[in-house]
Amino acid sequence: MWVPIALGRDVPRGATRAVLLEGEELVVWRGEAGTVQVWEDRCPHRGMRLSFGFVRGDALNCLYHGWEYGAGASCRRIPAHPDLTVPPTIRAKAFAATETGGLILVDRDGTGGPPPLMLAGLPVASLAIAADPETLFQLVPATPRPDPQLVEATLDGVRFHLGWHVPGPGRIMLHALVLDPGAESRALIALHKLRSEAEARRAA
Amino acid sequence: MLRLHDYVLSAECYAVRLMLALLGLAHERRAVDLYPGAATTPWGDVPVLEDGDDVVTDPGLILTYLARAHDPSGRWLPAESAAVVSRWLAFAATDLTALRDARRVAILAAPGDLDALNRKGYMALRALDDHLATRRLEGADWLAGDGPTVADIAVFPAVMLSHDSGIGLEDFPSLNLWQRRLRQLPGFVGMPGIPDYF
Amino acid sequence: MTAEPAALDQWYVLGAIGDFPQGQSSRRLLGTNLAVTRAGDRFTIESNGPPAAVRTDYGHLWTTLGTPARPVFDLPESRESDRRAVYCGAVTVRASGLRLIENFLDLAHFPYVHTDILGTEARPEVAKYEVEQRRDVDELWATKCEFFQPKAAAASEGGQISRYMYRVVSPFNVMLYKTPPAAPDRWDVIALFVQPVEPDLSIAHPYMLVIDDISTDAELIGFQQMIFLQDKIVLENQRPKLLPLQPGRETPTRADLSSVLYRRWLKEKQLRYGVEERTDLA
Repeated sequence: MWVPIALGRDVPRGATRAVLLEGEELVVWRGEAGTVQVWEDRCPHRGMRLSFGFVRGDALNCLYHGWEYGAGASCRRIPAHPDLTVPPTIRAKAFAATETGGLILVDRDGTGGPPPLMLAGLPVASLAIAADPETLFQLVPATPRPDPQLVEATLDGVRFHLGWHVPGPGRIMLHALVLDPGAESRALIALHKLRSEAEARRAA
Repeated sequence: MLRLHDYVLSAECYAVRLMLALLGLAHERRAVDLYPGAATTPWGDVPVLEDGDDVVTDPGLILTYLARAHDPSGRWLPAESAAVVSRWLAFAATDLTALRDARRVAILAAPGDLDALNRKGYMALRALDDHLATRRLEGADWLAGDGPTVADIAVFPAVMLSHDSGIGLEDFPSLNLWQRRLRQLPGFVGMPGIPDYF
Repeated sequence: MTAEPAALDQWYVLGAIGDFPQGQSSRRLLGTNLAVTRAGDRFTIESNGPPAAVRTDYGHLWTTLGTPARPVFDLPESRESDRRAVYCGAVTVRASGLRLIENFLDLAHFPYVHTDILGTEARPEVAKYEVEQRRDVDELWATKCEFFQPKAAAASEGGQISRYMYRVVSPFNVMLYKTPPAAPDRWDVIALFVQPVEPDLSIAHPYMLVIDDISTDAELIGFQQMIFLQDKIVLENQRPKLLPLQPGRETPTRADLSSVLYRRWLKEKQLRYGVEERTDLA
């Protein structure tokens, strides 16, 4: 299944970002070529989280020993052994990823079929909220869209595309985009209000 | 000659080391061991900055002192952003202390309720992320003003070392990008827990 | 998790002697709470059962929850009068103690984790070194280790090829021997004593016996703490947190020879505390 896990804007070229998806640690990163990558957040050498690593050109390097992984997730350089041709069996675990409509999506289990194509929105923010999706969507009158884990909603007069993922039990991360240019700042205020309400309801 | 009384693991000392590095100021460092005897300086807790006969204490005051006395460009303490800079300096000295205390509990087994401190620290990080997310929509990259200021330097260490007490930046995309920009500034230096590679 | 005999029958550090006040204090070891009582220089340690054995060697307090086959390891350098004994302070790390030891044995991370101090990205190569299991003393040794270091110690003025030896004396205690800037014909000793609190929570007690007339204690401690806190970010972010011994879970190379030997030795001892549960032995 395709799941939105970040706004494309929040992972610029050269950056890594750690994402927790249903308890699983993922690294999202983008090299110079511009294609977004979503991998298991773990270097196969010693298990170090790759989100602590660094991007050089079109490769992600592990912080621990500098092992370098290319876009296909194959390790192509082990600095401790500069002359070694790295066997192709050494690779990070990559998931199918795509970027559409301002969102980055991952298909962890490979059941999502062809990557979706979504209507473009204008990014506002990704917001972590201490509430489960059911509680949250009781507060947001939403219309499902054909796109995976994405709804249309109107909050305080602003029209939203809301994607989301669940980092863990009792938590949701909303990825908010708006359809009307110039509405972003108002949209963010509405989202902060929504977060307060959802977390207050959970506390009560 | 500038002389910093310094403890390598202190986030507050690091803020001063970082400011000195970004301003390209030559200085001497005097290592003070805070463990286990809790040694200190004649003037109190580190960081303490000596500038000739002058002595400045308190991390926020040292940062503003360096910006005023040693940065002719004035860009680290711009007059037009003075109010916002002050607000975040105060934030660093109040709300963010929960993260400092959480780190002491987590690393040095200092007394304290780690979960309670981490909850407060998390809310402080959220306040920063909210502010930066709002600023981004206005086309601004930093806490105050058009460029980095002492406010950014004052809050940076606690944000970057929050992992020491178990809080990651997964929930804070705007903070994540802001810290990355800050590390790209010419002259940037890290500290243990803030890697040189990013 | 209850500790198994292989973990129980070992000596463990509880802290530097100087860190224990007179009277009672509490410590935790292998998931068990301990009450430590100090009267002058005499210590008693109690848990649920009868009083635990106590040793005060090398300036630290040691105990065991089982019946170790050997005394606390020997550290002959502690008897050399011109060495400075430096306690670097206890640091809590949210990781398996075995991960701490393995990282301590690792050369290849110097350029990336201890950048421009113990290594530099321009010279990341790990030359071939030798490892051996000394069965008479049940210790692991790695010898003839060499690495280029920009600032090998607190007193270093510039870069040098450092020579290292490593000595693993028990699953949770290790030391390295390193050429000091001041005396190239002798070895500085840097020890890492690990107190496993829980399988995935440890307290590290770094300790040094060094030949250095120049640096202040604060400089020596600061240097060692800096190195250790640089490692902490890695140690707490390795997955799984417990050390995997199952074949294929991680990917060693020639630079990891000492880690390979260490893991084999742990398997041989049937040590499980701090080890990831295996699924291939059912």
